[in-house]
Amino acid sequence: MDNVILKAENISKYYKLGVIGTRSFKEDLQGFWKKAFRISGNEKINPNNTNNSSNELWALKDISFEIMQGDVVGFVGKNGAGKSTLLKILSRITLPTTGTIKGMGRIASLLEVGTGFHAELTGRENIFLNGQILGMHKKEILLKFDEIVAFSGIERFLDTPVKRYSSGMYVRLAFAIAAHLDPEILIIDEVLAVGDSDFQKKCLGKMKQVSAEEGKTVLFVSHNSQALKNLCNKAIHLEKGRLIDIGSTQDIITNYLKNEQDQPLKKVYNDPDEAPGNSNIRIKKLEVIPKYVDNSKIIDIRTPLTIQFEFWYLPSENIDLGVSMSLNTVMGDCIFDVDSIAQPFQKGLVKGQCTIPGNLLNNGSYTISLIFIRNTSSAIFELEECLSFDVEDFRENTAWYGDWPGAIRPKFKVLLEQENL
Amino acid sequence: MDTEEKEDIKLNWQWEISPAKSWFKMGLIDLYAYRGLILRFVRRDLIASYQQTIIGPIWIFLQPLFTTLIYLIVFGNFAKVSTDDTPKILFYMSGTIIWTFFFDNISGTMYTFITNAHIFNKVYFPRLVVPVSNIITQSVRLSIQLVLFIIIFLYYYIFFDKFQLSISLFLIPFLILLTATFALGSGLLIAVFTARYRDIDTFFQYILRLGMFITPVVFPSTIVPQKYQFLFWLNPLTPIIETFRSVFFHQNAIQYNYLLIATAEAIFLLILGLILFKRREVEVMDII
Repeated sequence: MDNVILKAENISKYYKLGVIGTRSFKEDLQGFWKKAFRISGNEKINPNNTNNSSNELWALKDISFEIMQGDVVGFVGKNGAGKSTLLKILSRITLPTTGTIKGMGRIASLLEVGTGFHAELTGRENIFLNGQILGMHKKEILLKFDEIVAFSGIERFLDTPVKRYSSGMYVRLAFAIAAHLDPEILIIDEVLAVGDSDFQKKCLGKMKQVSAEEGKTVLFVSHNSQALKNLCNKAIHLEKGRLIDIGSTQDIITNYLKNEQDQPLKKVYNDPDEAPGNSNIRIKKLEVIPKYVDNSKIIDIRTPLTIQFEFWYLPSENIDLGVSMSLNTVMGDCIFDVDSIAQPFQKGLVKGQCTIPGNLLNNGSYTISLIFIRNTSSAIFELEECLSFDVEDFRENTAWYGDWPGAIRPKFKVLLEQENL
Repeated sequence: MDTEEKEDIKLNWQWEISPAKSWFKMGLIDLYAYRGLILRFVRRDLIASYQQTIIGPIWIFLQPLFTTLIYLIVFGNFAKVSTDDTPKILFYMSGTIIWTFFFDNISGTMYTFITNAHIFNKVYFPRLVVPVSNIITQSVRLSIQLVLFIIIFLYYYIFFDKFQLSISLFLIPFLILLTATFALGSGLLIAVFTARYRDIDTFFQYILRLGMFITPVVFPSTIVPQKYQFLFWLNPLTPIIETFRSVFFHQNAIQYNYLLIATAEAIFLLILGLILFKRREVEVMDII
């Protein structure tokens, strides 16, 4: 299927910032006056001649792309990159300032589950209400009604107002309706962030089925890079409103994560006087050295990491020096704390290192803290959160993309064996 | 790819999103495609408004009945405002149900964007679906109230031999349509402006409250001084309510010339409202 089903050309979106009030009314009047009497020529808003006024924002600049029928396209980018704005334009909720999008077939968007649910109405009524808001016809809903109810698993509560539902039930019903939409193009924004893990799995399975078996086109924004990798065959990387790259999901996600991980993995201080430390210790170098797996340049859960540090040792008395290193999550939970053997050192440079093996850390953001200890009893210098790095997820042969539980993620073998009867 | 092929593909596009807007689109064809959704909204509003009540839809009867009774006591008995020799209950009721129909239509329409922002921000459908479904909901209520009115009317007709029925009864559906047209047109215009500046909404709430006193709801238009008569009749609701009363009570002759002016006013407002609403319906979402 090599048909272009959707084509976006030079899409830009301009927002005027600031409060709407007396002042904006004055500006409106001035604008109207100018327009009415053509005082100054055509001042067209144009993304290319921005005067970078703090009062305006180009949420999208000159985005063009084509999407083939049957493509499952993932949109990646940081918060504020313009992903949501683009989805809003594609869903016709807001207009582009410049550019056009042309397409074929019915388009349905799921920027939220349960849009238009009425709390006072029963589950049954809401299935019809929400379904029709999302663009289904009544006949279609009648045809799929039993399927929707079965998928949601709320049979018993079908005639209860949804305001009495638990939030889980509410979301399940809402997604069940959405999952039975049957458009040629489906737009989905982060809906995977809802529901319990079982239900997420069901939803992703359904999405895969829709795209693979029914040849539907899906446009999909998610922060879950695993889900994107497994579901999408194409990805678009947005940054600050511009389209950075478009291509195969694997490449785009790899590049995107590399970009995300661009925090310095190395800190070097050449001047001891300016380096962090005190009269006993001055730091010279701190570094995380990853041993990348399959040339990916991304730290993921498989990557062994070597933490190296160098410091000037300036003892005022003879002591046994030990260094303890702890790894903490960004939330401040300590994952582990390891220490060196305490021993005497001469004044001068001291080097240390510790290797964290691959397949130990779970995915997440971590920081390293060092404590320098005198005679295994008291700290002479503490260096907190001196290095930080992200560990990305990596999975193979699984249909489960939810968060992997656990503080750590070792690859201990779990063995199964068939017992003979 | 050669040009011929390119042209071929261009012709196949089924829809297009672009900043271009036409001055002449009112979106009425779209609306027909979304008739299912319109009826769904009507159903939602009718069901939801009487959930968790004891007497449920009977309220549709009780609301105009209570209002009528209060007017009857306050204006009829305390203030002794003339009702042109019409039975008081029928006089106040005719004013009340038409005024309420107008009021509910216009206030439902003018808050279209504000009350539905959460839906409009997530899903596209022609925004006109919402005010139109509101009009239909209100029409259902009005029809039920008219039944009550006719029952009381028949009571007077049969037992007091008061009125005669005439061919002009056929004007009633037209009057209802005219009220809806006027309310929808002005409501759409206000909706477009309230989305940007909320002052306009406060201002119109005030105007609406005053509106009842420049409309013959609780008094007949005959008590308005002669020099204000022309202005008074320019309010489209004046000929609407007066014609309604003339059709049933025959106290005054139907003023067809003013009815014609009212029709022109309502149609003008509706066309202007539809065009502006269509033009602004998407842009409004960036500022609401």
